[in-house]
Amino acid sequence: MITLEDVTCRYGAHDRGEDDGDAIDDSVLAVDDVTLSVPDGEFLVVAGANGSGKTTLVRTFNGLVRPDSGTVSVNGTPVSEDLVAARAAVGMTFQDPRDQLVSATVGGDVAFGPENLGLPREEIDRRVEAALDAVDMAGRGDDRITTLSGGERQRVAIAGALAMEPDHLVCDEPFTGLDEPARESVLTRLRERHAGGTGVVVVTHDLRDVVGFADRVVGLDDGRIVVDGPPSEAVPTLSDIGVRVPAGFDAAGDDHAGRSDEP
Amino acid sequence: MTLEYVPGDSLAHRLDPRTKLLVQIGFAAAAYAHTTPRGLAVLTLLAGGSLWAADGDPVDLWGYRFALPVLLAAPLVAGATLGTPWFRVARAETAALASYRVLLLLVVAAAYVRSTPVRDSRAAIHHTVPGRIGAFLGVGVALVFRFLPLLRRDLLAAREAVHVRGGDRLPVHERMRLIAVAGTNRAFGRADRLGTALAARCFAWNPTLPRLAFRRADYPVLALGAGLLATAVATTV
Repeated sequence: MITLEDVTCRYGAHDRGEDDGDAIDDSVLAVDDVTLSVPDGEFLVVAGANGSGKTTLVRTFNGLVRPDSGTVSVNGTPVSEDLVAARAAVGMTFQDPRDQLVSATVGGDVAFGPENLGLPREEIDRRVEAALDAVDMAGRGDDRITTLSGGERQRVAIAGALAMEPDHLVCDEPFTGLDEPARESVLTRLRERHAGGTGVVVVTHDLRDVVGFADRVVGLDDGRIVVDGPPSEAVPTLSDIGVRVPAGFDAAGDDHAGRSDEP
Repeated sequence: MTLEYVPGDSLAHRLDPRTKLLVQIGFAAAAYAHTTPRGLAVLTLLAGGSLWAADGDPVDLWGYRFALPVLLAAPLVAGATLGTPWFRVARAETAALASYRVLLLLVVAAAYVRSTPVRDSRAAIHHTVPGRIGAFLGVGVALVFRFLPLLRRDLLAAREAVHVRGGDRLPVHERMRLIAVAGTNRAFGRADRLGTALAARCFAWNPTLPRLAFRRADYPVLALGAGLLATAVATTV
């Protein structure tokens, strides 16, 4: 379980003092007093327009961003007290997988996280094999990262997170720049992980791919949660905050609207 | 083309990274001890052999193209004088041999980089240098190997971004300024993103490193490295 209590995050200078003694705050408020719980095994969608604070919010889950105020806990332990435990429990893929892949080969990259956990070599090999299998890239451990397509890189990034065997997998805009087959492939992997018991958090400004599989949707606007509920309740309000929603979404309860190209 | 690890099953790929490090050290020492054309000819064969053993070819050296003009210019700069005789051949010859030695070292380094994953290099250093110093050096080497290819790609992207909007028609110094500024900005951004990526995946000073073990093929190559080092020491002392 990931728990946020009264979390606020700011970027930039804080309280720059003026000569007359008054202080002004010229920082940017990215996350504004957010309280949120993400139970194990939940498929959560965090939706919002660009700059709404989605990425900052989810980066507090594993301590990549430290809140200016409030607390974030993973499985009952404050993230600030045990960063390694938080990062092992909350796997994350970045918006651009090129920012995430740190090795020259697929196998080397997927093994990177488990190696850092200090696991025995046999366990690392098992996890790498299982993670590559989970993203349909079994037997491609020796492939060079630079030769992969965008969809394959996204899948390797997911494999790298899965190899940590996290309780939650957080994917930041996982479909950006992918063509339809690649989107479908990544979505299938996420659904499979969710079906296998892993909690999945998808950060997106476009609900069309994922709303049919979400247990819950959280809408962010200017760093604040403006809606939090099942898709049938949340989706109708999201287009007002710049989120692309499926055409013909049935607010009465059809949570499985198909993807549409209509805005 | 970027000089980086290429998976394979060549002789060099199968060698223990510590063996390859010893050969590099021995080769570097020999290159600076044996400065005659005959000595350098022998070392040329060895350097070519090391690249061949790593399944490489001369095209791999294209990754060094930015260093080549400096190596070529060095003899000209060394030989030039401000007055008569305007150019001293002996000085240029000495500098040319020195440049050639550096080129040979780059060839051997290319064979190493091509055939050795980053984590194997880290493990080799960690195993060879005991304690925290070894861990620190291993991390340093790993970060350099991880960061440089990314940085190089960013610089190429910056150059392409300048070119696609007609920047290739600007004077050279203006293009250099644009790419340097963009490249520096990207380098800082890249360092941030790499740091975040490492943190997200629990970067550790003491991770599980690959098991290293000398095999039968390592021993003759170890002997070669030790022999090169010994001849260098014998020549110098």
